[in-house]
Amino acid sequence: MTTNQTHTIAPVLPVPATAARLTALVGALATLGSTFLAWTWTAEFPGDLTVTGYPGGLQVLTLTGALLTALFALAGHGVRGLGWLVPGGKNSPVRLLALGTFTTTWYAVLAITVELGGLVNLEPGGWIAAVASLVTLVGALGLPADVPAENPGPASGWQRFTHAFKAPAPGKAAPLPSWAEILIIAAAFGIGLFIFTYGIDTEYAELFIGFLLLIGFGAPAVARAGLNRRLGALTATHKNVTVTAAFVAAFAFPFTQSNDAYATIGANILIFATVALGLNVVVGLAGLLDLGYVAFLGVGAYTAALFSGSPSSTIGIQLPFWAAVLAGAAASLIFGVVIGAPTLRLHGDYLAIVTLGFGEIFRIAMQNMDGASGPDITNGPNGIPNIPDLELFGFNFGEPHNVLGVELGRFSNYYLLMLFFTIIVVTVFRRSDQSRIGRAWVAIREDETAARAMGINAFRLKLLAFALGATLAGMAGTVQAHVTFTVTPAQYKFVEAVPPNSAFLLAAVILGGMGTVSGPLIGAALLYLIPAKLQFMSDYQLLLFGIALILLMRFRPEGLIADRRKQLEFHETGQLDAPKGDIGLSKAGV
Amino acid sequence: MNDLPQQLANGLLLGALYGLIAIGYTMVYGIVQLINFAHGEIFMIGGFGALTAYLWLPAGTSLLFALPLMILMAMACSVLVAMGAERFAYRPLRGAPRLAPLITAIGLSIALQQAIWAFYPDATKSRPFPEFEGGRIDLGAFAIGRGDLFLVIAAPLCMIALGFFVSKTRTGRAMQATSQDPDTAKLMGINTDRIIVTAFAIGAAFAAIAAIAHGVKYGEVNFKMGFIAGLKAFTAAVLGGIGNIYGAMIGGLVLGLAEALATAYIENIPGMSQLGGGAWKDVWAFVLLILVLLLRPQGLLGQRVADRA
Repeated sequence: MTTNQTHTIAPVLPVPATAARLTALVGALATLGSTFLAWTWTAEFPGDLTVTGYPGGLQVLTLTGALLTALFALAGHGVRGLGWLVPGGKNSPVRLLALGTFTTTWYAVLAITVELGGLVNLEPGGWIAAVASLVTLVGALGLPADVPAENPGPASGWQRFTHAFKAPAPGKAAPLPSWAEILIIAAAFGIGLFIFTYGIDTEYAELFIGFLLLIGFGAPAVARAGLNRRLGALTATHKNVTVTAAFVAAFAFPFTQSNDAYATIGANILIFATVALGLNVVVGLAGLLDLGYVAFLGVGAYTAALFSGSPSSTIGIQLPFWAAVLAGAAASLIFGVVIGAPTLRLHGDYLAIVTLGFGEIFRIAMQNMDGASGPDITNGPNGIPNIPDLELFGFNFGEPHNVLGVELGRFSNYYLLMLFFTIIVVTVFRRSDQSRIGRAWVAIREDETAARAMGINAFRLKLLAFALGATLAGMAGTVQAHVTFTVTPAQYKFVEAVPPNSAFLLAAVILGGMGTVSGPLIGAALLYLIPAKLQFMSDYQLLLFGIALILLMRFRPEGLIADRRKQLEFHETGQLDAPKGDIGLSKAGV
Repeated sequence: MNDLPQQLANGLLLGALYGLIAIGYTMVYGIVQLINFAHGEIFMIGGFGALTAYLWLPAGTSLLFALPLMILMAMACSVLVAMGAERFAYRPLRGAPRLAPLITAIGLSIALQQAIWAFYPDATKSRPFPEFEGGRIDLGAFAIGRGDLFLVIAAPLCMIALGFFVSKTRTGRAMQATSQDPDTAKLMGINTDRIIVTAFAIGAAFAAIAAIAHGVKYGEVNFKMGFIAGLKAFTAAVLGGIGNIYGAMIGGLVLGLAEALATAYIENIPGMSQLGGGAWKDVWAFVLLILVLLLRPQGLLGQRVADRA
């Protein structure tokens, strides 16, 4: 791979590589050690950082970050037995992790200073942690770059800085026995579940911010190290194992929760994520912008509420749950076709505005049908309260049950029910994505005229995508009605601080990554957790949300989990400016 | 049905308001094929700009004297925000897939709305807007509010000025050329970037006029008023044939009339007695949009801009 044509690029800080690595390693170990000291003198700061010998709260995050930094620094040095950690970039993961540890630690130290009112509140442990993490960062920035420079000649400081975070793709892995590969996949999902659970269970805003900071730097570090690609290669060879592992991990979530309060968050995230995944069929696969998607959820929820046997329902009929699900899905399907049929024949932009209008009209209509300003169907703004809990096969979802020694509360039960619907939606998404229909959707999304010329009936397929999306949302809505006890028109606004609403659903799809399965799930989890955990900024939540949407479109339109096709589409990497050298070759499979 | 003239007058006034806002959608769409969702918020910001100007003046200033300053201030606010949005949010995305600028527009719309909510004093609830003193003016068959006079004068003036600008001035003709074929227009030496900014600015200025008209008509401004007004104005633009500036005005008038008549008369139709009244007017406007898309998707006047999709 190295020819005499490659150009080396200086590290950010001009330090000999060995000295830099040693500094980073020592710094990381010192940071690690400092987490066992007391950082502050009073337990007033949440998480109790006063105990010597026992890290708590934010210290655990620093400990994790420092440990990972040290591990990757050793692995990058070529220590035997750790080579598997860094099949891709050797030094860029260390840099990112050092940066992550540094920001998390300094955030903790600053939070202590600000919240308790002054630097005096820091114990020596806090000072040591701050200095040690800075030393680590300095060392890490002195490590050489992983990839050769693209252009000869001296680079500016900023160029060297951005370049320092680039990493080559890993080569092909040596084959392992398949049981080992399956074990690795299982372990990966186990770690994923642990991280997710940790995020949900964070008890105070400071810990959640620290968690986000560490994850924000840690995830790209793992990606730079090439572990993502390695795992991707494994999951591609064991697809069924992966899907099973994912659902086992999701299924295990309620069993990790001792408290139903956090299971509520889990159930709500799952509803949000499932609906976002349904929207991903419409937006991600077929490229249709649906701005009133939450209305279809509402149609399903109202249908289920009316047939639930709630004392406030104006229809005295109680349908069994399966029938209510079918009715909700069918009602959404009908609305989807009614809205889609006239609009989808036209230019794509009309759909956006018609769906936006439909979302509003749905809410207004539900609000008006209170008997005073319209027919008496939905009780108007008060909605339909007292929706009874479900009972399926003698299993009452409202009561706690003891399963395998774990007490599963109401929301854990509904979480598991919702998971069943998530599986349906994921299956529909994956099957249609890989089918003739899915390929036709992608073709229409990319170039409708060309797709028509290839004999694709664009209108019919677009209508199919739109109606399918509507049906999936309607189905999810029927469960949502039971989880929330009450359906009111106010739950189905275009934008609101509490997800799901149309704007947040769309944002979840886009933030996570259009056209992927895991993207909307991660996007939904983030968009639900951030407002739920950071209550103190609730006044500026939507403002920040709007600004984040603009910045996201500007700087990373393909989302966190990028679909390869989308990445190319948004960044217009043609043949000519494709990545050079070893990366291009390994992608081409040479 | 002897209140028919009154309903028609109400509808035309409402329609003129929608039409003024719709100009902004249709001009921007005609040139860059972008639905500027944030246009409703630019309208709203114009209203707050005018209110700010009025509050600067000594208390008790007659609204008639304050009006020129209010208009200037409203236009300045709206135009600045629109040009800033174009420069920093939309321009970097030119050439990106169509979804990207649409989502930016949504983000911008939410951010502007929330910025007013959070930072404008007392904007969490409706702020009272100055009104003309005196009762309604009786014109025999119907009466109009004093505030409506502003709209009656401003809307035709704006339309005439815009018609003159687009057909007679150099910039206006450059605008037409850009909307027909931006690449060729560029080759002919037209600075298309400047034309696009001009389109945003004119749309915003008209939205600012509409915001003052809205303020003096209803006597209040609030941070949410841009959303539904923007939706209606877009409907008006589609009704008239999007990309067509005269169509936007006609579409606005038709939409306003339809809304007024639906509010007044739908409940007289047998079987629909419960679906009339003000609570359902938005629903009927939406039904009209669906019907137009179904029956005459190119709009009432048709698109002057060739559809390049």
